Amino acid sequence: MPLLDFLNFYLVPGIVLGSIYAVGAIGITLVFGILRFAHFAHGDMATLGAFIALALVAGGMDPWTALPVAMAATAVVAIGVDKAFYDYLKARPKIVTVMASLGVALMLRSVVQVVWGVDPRTYATGIVRPDSYFGILLRPRELYTLASVVLIVVGLALFLRHSKWGKAMRAMSDNPDLARLSGVDNRKVTMLTWAIVGALCAASGFMLGINTELHSMMGWQLLLPMFAAAIVGGVGRVEGAVLGGLVVGIAEELSIFILPAQYKAATAFALLLLILLVRPRGLLNGKVL
Amino acid sequence: MNKKTLATLVGSLLGAAVLASPAHAQNVKIGLLGGISGPIAAMAPSMLDASRLAIAQVNEQGGILNGGKLDVVVGDSACNPQNATDAATKAVNIDRVIATVGPHCSGAVLAAANSVTVPAGVLMVTPSGTSPEITKINDKDLVYRTVPSDDYQGRALARTLKARGIDKVAVAYLNNDYGKGLAESFKAEYEANGGTIAGYSGHEDGKASYRSDLAQLARGGADTLVIFDYGDGTGLTILRQALENNFFKTFIGADGMKSEAVIRSLGEQNLGGFFASAPVGEASASLDAFRAAFSAAGGNPDAIFTTTSYDAAFLVALAIEKAGGDKAKLAESLRAVASAPGEPIMAGEWAKAKQLIAEGKDIDYKGAAGDHEFDAAGDVPGNYAFFKVSGSTYEAIADMK
Repeated sequence: MPLLDFLNFYLVPGIVLGSIYAVGAIGITLVFGILRFAHFAHGDMATLGAFIALALVAGGMDPWTALPVAMAATAVVAIGVDKAFYDYLKARPKIVTVMASLGVALMLRSVVQVVWGVDPRTYATGIVRPDSYFGILLRPRELYTLASVVLIVVGLALFLRHSKWGKAMRAMSDNPDLARLSGVDNRKVTMLTWAIVGALCAASGFMLGINTELHSMMGWQLLLPMFAAAIVGGVGRVEGAVLGGLVVGIAEELSIFILPAQYKAATAFALLLLILLVRPRGLLNGKVL
Repeated sequence: MNKKTLATLVGSLLGAAVLASPAHAQNVKIGLLGGISGPIAAMAPSMLDASRLAIAQVNEQGGILNGGKLDVVVGDSACNPQNATDAATKAVNIDRVIATVGPHCSGAVLAAANSVTVPAGVLMVTPSGTSPEITKINDKDLVYRTVPSDDYQGRALARTLKARGIDKVAVAYLNNDYGKGLAESFKAEYEANGGTIAGYSGHEDGKASYRSDLAQLARGGADTLVIFDYGDGTGLTILRQALENNFFKTFIGADGMKSEAVIRSLGEQNLGGFFASAPVGEASASLDAFRAAFSAAGGNPDAIFTTTSYDAAFLVALAIEKAGGDKAKLAESLRAVASAPGEPIMAGEWAKAKQLIAEGKDIDYKGAAGDHEFDAAGDVPGNYAFFKVSGSTYEAIADMK
């Protein structure tokens, strides 16, 4: 097969898909690292974010301008969900919160179905043929997607490493009690975490939506690859989530060479199992699950 | 007297009280199970409305049995086996329906029939479960469909493509009972007629990218891609990615792809090379009657599966009337009202049918979608047409033989 075909139809789609997984996986990893539970409502929160953006686009906004607004709105929703459900269960065993998040997932999905219906929707009608960059075929929306992911990841990494609040988040992730003794307000850090997670959800949902279609199940179907990405990269590590996302995305697209296409969806599972067997801390040494 | 005996006694007393209640207008409940959410969500509302039209006509024209009303319990089968089982369980065990219209999707029908309705002795008539697998259910004669099996459709589509001079195709099918059943029938007939299948692969629902799948299929050198999938689901994603990357020139879908969501999302101007096959009703007085009534009720009679949905509900109502509400006689009664010989009954002629049944005469329902002469497996033969995109909807361009 010519190299260009390989790049255009296998590797580039894998990278775009992987970047979308990565953004979702960062959110999962943050919730797991800082709040210590597996957040099953992540996918449906992404769906909600994508549909909020759709509402803005329907109101006449350009999709990429609508993205930051939708991120902010979803951040508020995420804080609200935390206050209404998870905060209430804080003192109970974590498995209760995990199950509650499953319920929240169903609720968010139903809201989307009630408000926007169950038909597939798109941000813009029609198809976009790609432009050629030295033989590499890319559409503007794919370039914007990749640029946004880079922006989000770099921004978040800088924030976590250098800002006061970022450091507080990392401190709480290492040891919440010790962080509290050192004067970190756990409540505020939790709120900040949810704001970031909500915004990331909206971004991943939006990017999936603009590259394919929006429908009420889109986020739920993303949940498995996103969890796999977070675990493959190393839970609790932002860089790990990015790496994991890319690995899962590219592996799914390349699996076609060795497996029948029906098994594409199982690739994420297979990778997850493999990593848990040979390197349970993930590629980048995250927390042990 | 221990507690258990007491409970049995109270139970039988209650039972006796119910049995002894005098004959009065008694409502009959049937389940309407449809893919309200999920991959056929855009098709389901029209289908449900068509079934509701039949039920409304029954209730307006004298009701069921002894002046009772036909009550409908709607359930969301979501086009997947789990939800269908849940919805059917609720309808059968909690709402106590004696028959169901639907579920809509093949996988949903198989799961609901095998695990819920057949064991419970509940009659099921699906308006759109088209998989050849449904023929094979060990159904105690309780599962019927008003839509022909995909075995007919896959074969008719294969012959149509050959006749249109398309000798080489690639096939992408959704890996479920619907997609796989169609693909296998299509492949067998197409190859038997001398066509070449230059790529044949299944795919899972709900992935974000199918470009590598498509690239792999395109390597076989075919210009035409046959997609057996849903146009409200993955089929749309595949069609979009195939168009954007110029993998194929012509796209052929079956009934599942004939969704208006495809035109709305991709734009008419991009779909000049997209065709779809779908079952159509034979022109008949019954079809005209249905079209007039459904239009008057605000529905679109051209929407897919509306005629079969209407017929399924109407047939169930006729069977209940004929059986006198006796659940055990429903299947036998359904065959009696649907099959020749008998006084012909058109769509909407409930009052006439009710009277004939009361007089003990045999009737033969001639539905909007066709005659509905069920074979031993509860299947009906079908008519198909080949559609192209025209404006915001589809237009039939040829009958399929």
